[in-house]
Amino acid sequence: MRIAVDTGGTFTDLILEDGTGKRFVFKRPTTPDDPVRGIFDALAQAADSRGETVEVLLSQTDTFIHATTRAINAILTGTTARTAFLCTEGHPDTLLFREGGRIEIFNFTVEYPRPYVPRSLTFEVPERISHDGGIVKALDEEAAVDILLGLNDLGVEAIGVCLLFSTINPRHERRLGELIEHHLPDIPCTLSHVVNPTLREYRRASSTCIDASLKPVMSTYLRNLGHTLQATGFAGRFLVVTSRGGVRDGADVAGAPIHAVNSGPAMAPVAGRFFAAAETGADTVVVADTGGTSFDVSLVRNGRIPQTRETWLGQTYRGHMTGFPSIDVRSIGAGGGSIAWVDSGGMLHVGPQSAGAAPGPACYNAGGVRATVTDAALVTGLIDPAFFLGGHMPLDIHAARDAVERDVASPMGTGPERAALSIMEVATENMVQAIENITIHQGVDPRSAVLVAGGGAAGLNAVAIARRLGCRHVIVPTAGAALSAAGSLMAELGDDFSATLPTSSRHFDIGAVNRVLAELAARAAAFVSGPGAGTIAHETTFFAEARYGHQVWEIEVPLRGSRFDSEDDVSRFISDFHDMHEAMFAVRDSHSDVEIIHWHCRVRCRLRGDAGQDSMPTAARDNHARRVVLAGHGAIEASVADFSALATDETLEGPAIIESPFTSIVIDPGVSYFRSTHGSLVITLEAGGDDARASLAARRW
Amino acid sequence: MDGIRLATISSRMQGICQRMANTLMRTGRSGVLNTAHDFSCCILSFDDSFVAADESLPVHVLSGPDIMARHLRAFHPDLRRGDAFLNNSPYHGCSHPADHTILVPVIDDDGVHRFTVCAKAHQADIGNSRPTTYMATARDVYEEGALIFPGTRVQQDYEDVEDIIRLCELRFRVPQQWRGDYLAMIGAARIGERELLELGAEKGWDELNAFVDEWFDYSEKRMTDAIRSMPSGKVEATTRHDPFPGLPEDGLEIRVRLEIDTHAGIIDIDLTDNPDNLACGLNLTEATAIAGAMTGVFNSIDHTVPPNAGSIRRVRVHLREGCVVGIPRHPYSCSLGTSNICDRLENAVVHAIAQLGNGWGMAECGPLLPPATGVISGTDPRNGEHYVNEIFLFHTAAGASAQADGWLTLTAMGSAGLCLLDSVELDELRFPMRVYRQEIAMDTEGPGRRRGAPGAYVEFGPVDCEMSVAYASDGTLFPAEGVRGGGRAARARQIRRDRNGREHELDACAEVHLEAGEKIVSLTQPGGGYGPPHEREPARVLEDVVEGWISPDRARDTYGVVITGDGDVDHAATQELRQRLSGMLEDRPVSADEEGAR
Repeated sequence: MRIAVDTGGTFTDLILEDGTGKRFVFKRPTTPDDPVRGIFDALAQAADSRGETVEVLLSQTDTFIHATTRAINAILTGTTARTAFLCTEGHPDTLLFREGGRIEIFNFTVEYPRPYVPRSLTFEVPERISHDGGIVKALDEEAAVDILLGLNDLGVEAIGVCLLFSTINPRHERRLGELIEHHLPDIPCTLSHVVNPTLREYRRASSTCIDASLKPVMSTYLRNLGHTLQATGFAGRFLVVTSRGGVRDGADVAGAPIHAVNSGPAMAPVAGRFFAAAETGADTVVVADTGGTSFDVSLVRNGRIPQTRETWLGQTYRGHMTGFPSIDVRSIGAGGGSIAWVDSGGMLHVGPQSAGAAPGPACYNAGGVRATVTDAALVTGLIDPAFFLGGHMPLDIHAARDAVERDVASPMGTGPERAALSIMEVATENMVQAIENITIHQGVDPRSAVLVAGGGAAGLNAVAIARRLGCRHVIVPTAGAALSAAGSLMAELGDDFSATLPTSSRHFDIGAVNRVLAELAARAAAFVSGPGAGTIAHETTFFAEARYGHQVWEIEVPLRGSRFDSEDDVSRFISDFHDMHEAMFAVRDSHSDVEIIHWHCRVRCRLRGDAGQDSMPTAARDNHARRVVLAGHGAIEASVADFSALATDETLEGPAIIESPFTSIVIDPGVSYFRSTHGSLVITLEAGGDDARASLAARRW
Repeated sequence: MDGIRLATISSRMQGICQRMANTLMRTGRSGVLNTAHDFSCCILSFDDSFVAADESLPVHVLSGPDIMARHLRAFHPDLRRGDAFLNNSPYHGCSHPADHTILVPVIDDDGVHRFTVCAKAHQADIGNSRPTTYMATARDVYEEGALIFPGTRVQQDYEDVEDIIRLCELRFRVPQQWRGDYLAMIGAARIGERELLELGAEKGWDELNAFVDEWFDYSEKRMTDAIRSMPSGKVEATTRHDPFPGLPEDGLEIRVRLEIDTHAGIIDIDLTDNPDNLACGLNLTEATAIAGAMTGVFNSIDHTVPPNAGSIRRVRVHLREGCVVGIPRHPYSCSLGTSNICDRLENAVVHAIAQLGNGWGMAECGPLLPPATGVISGTDPRNGEHYVNEIFLFHTAAGASAQADGWLTLTAMGSAGLCLLDSVELDELRFPMRVYRQEIAMDTEGPGRRRGAPGAYVEFGPVDCEMSVAYASDGTLFPAEGVRGGGRAARARQIRRDRNGREHELDACAEVHLEAGEKIVSLTQPGGGYGPPHEREPARVLEDVVEGWISPDRARDTYGVVITGDGDVDHAATQELRQRLSGMLEDRPVSADEEGAR
């Protein structure tokens, strides 16, 4: 038996997969003061449903997988360790200047962000290494020790070390690490070339200081949780979800907690890949996770999940970039709680403000008075006021209608239903824009992708989004309400080893590249025989980060093998680069030199076998019909069916509303759907109008 | 007004511009493009009105693309699908010759011209007579030496016109870099074209036309509302550019007459009372004279007003032909048409607006081109290759607004902070150089209730070779001023440090030759302050001291905040000192505000 727990901002999601491969979803409120309590609340609920105690449940559990917002919360609430930053002499303001950049160019009311580590805790170490690893100035150990001894008086609790070109020659950083261990043995420290071996000093310094600052809080948290689980009968493997969409042993993450910074959303594309492959065999997927306040989009491209180093804590350019490779997940403020408003010029906006869970939409009657997407969905009949969250939370349709009337209909001079429909349309458009930005960024044509919709508010406009994007299939997994937790169960144990070795297509240094690749392969092999021992299967893939000469942004290009045996291998790789560049940017420059900067080896160890099946708690409501208002159709009668009551593999046609305790899925007229054997709702849109779009798009220059 | 159509289609248009910009940034080759974000992407209506842009350099889009599109239709009445045109002509709507602009007409299936998309990017080299795109000393466009394209067909049926490409490749230094940037611009414009064709097919062209009309009306209303919330009044502001080669010996005074009529909802800016075109590269273009004035306005109003041809209807900018801040006459050079005088113009406008009321306008910002962001060139001894590129080391420049301290990495009002900064590691890998030090310079900020950004201290030089550094560091003599009692910033400085460590003060505008082992120090221009410094919250002053932005002496003498030996604010002493300071201000015959306004 396996258990995955995702501690989110509002809810703690738990998915239990029993010995027969059946999955059950549970949801309890998150307890921010002590997240472990929320986890045990969810465990109690799961145990209850089986008529067992938590002890019995845990004693049968062989794997416990945890995704947590603990790390990101510590950063956002400023409760990380008091951290010092040691840098190369002459470069103390790397964290202050960051890489420049600004948003909202005409907005001068926003203050410049403080550096992740204040200047008063930043120390210049006399030393310098050059671009080729040469030592320009030897490390002044005496001065370094003076700095370290001074840190004691400043109450420093963690140290990040990032020296220029340490990824090319780590000698000075290593020596500083030794000195810290000797003089300050109780203070955790992170060395940049170890935690994030990449060029660009800001990104590396940022990951290094973030990692160091999280070490005390995360090791305490993970140790406590591990101990509490053990004390309650758990004797299996404790794994933590990483920002790269894999899992690692809890102790490893405590030692390098930056891996857990994006722990939560990283698993949505893993789940999306799994469900799309299981239901339709597709390997290119758009994964949309709609919660109450945020809409997260991620991708699967040809079976791979794209990563990025440009993950921001807080707003882009107004917070800190982690600089650490992480699943590329884009978030916008859009969800059930997004507030609809009309500006002084008469234009309708939906978000980015949100009523959140508290005070919530007007229809919650919990203090919120402004019209939200949930209110609009209620007014248009997409949600049944008596069956929200399985009927646990009755909604006030009158409050919703009043809010929509006051905030939107009357300023726009229209009726409440038309206004509510407009709110749904604008919300859909905002989400589509977020999706198109990431698909074009990663070179994916959404028309060739399957849309996997997860999250409580996903079903309201998943079909509308797919129609706009030109996707033919939408999958709404039953476990979609807990998409990240579901992804955790599918996750593979993994790590990513990388090295910096700049070379180019013109002067490709086969010998040096092969040496680097062999070294990476050896580290991967050690992982497979270490943490990966006993897993079902493993896969090792190599890729490079490369760019055209003079470009500064690299793209990831997979290698065809684990080494280059001939000039032909090199030519094939270069040609793969051109193809990838053209796919992503519609530009190919065959005559240009190609520069390769970083080399990676990614290892994945499979922890599980078959697909399993999602189980849905039955609600036992009879099928009926309801009046709904849909874009392009107006007011129509739609049949309303309970998800759990749908026959497996029977194809039906909209208009319909499929309801479950977690979500309400809107099926437009002419759109067909069925419930699959794995327990997902699989929706197929008619291609008609979209074929015309596709042929237009195919007519390239 | 259809609020839903406005919302959905404006969002689509914005998305298209974003995706054009993303393509341009990720595929561009030169640092000025892919790092400094010195590019823009926008959409124009069939009749050349500015509809939407990415978060682009305001001076690129608020005016210029419209003028270029107008000339395009005049020169090429036979626009066909598959065409692309190159414009960098300062006499035909381009911002300055370094900003190569690709214009692609979006032609529907019936051959009707529906929109024009525009991708503009500052090039690393444009074939000037010297290896820089900023030819401050050029007496005219001939001495400047750039190839000028007034809207020249560079693609037909989606294929390059090779004649033009060959011409460029022979003339531009590091031609493969130009070629890469050219492809990036073409790629961006074609993505915009493709998406607009799809949008037209989906919504219908009539629907898009109706949207454009409503969008302009909507934006005009938003602008009118914004202006109506401002104080009415008529004000004049002047600012003085440093004496550069080709400018008068006491510098160049720029005069702005600005009137806000809140009743009519109109802002009127008169730039005609300025000198005639000068025999140097600092003349503005028609595009940047208008866009510079507009930038000052948009920086001073409700930032959510969408910038486009509709909102701009409420701002009238009066220009004169043959004027340095106006419409340039051929063959005067506009090589620096987007930076120096343009920065001064933008600053004069925000300064003028600040004079109209507390809470409005901004303090002045420093200029764009100190050696820290200069153009370096030479031959790399590691591979024998010639290089020329603008680098982007630390640079600050931001003046304070009424609400916030200067945004540290603004790098000049005109660049709007979009400029990304170089990684030292990347620069040292790409060029034979070393960056010895870069950090903020203590006590250099224009003090104020909200203070300007401090300047940066940047020191770099060539490694094992010689290097040229071209720069144009305005603010060396006349620094950024504060407003409404805020103080002026420290001056910019540039110093050559020879191999013996001796320092040699450098001119404000020069192309400096560095020998191996020599270094150049750039003290970049900080920004001015907003409001009296002794009104700054003591907690903010204390934080600036603790963080090393200002010294305890400056906290006491300038901000009137006394800090105790154990690092706390001495509130009693501070209050007493501040009372004295504000009393002194009242005794002065000329208020700091008036002095700031000069």
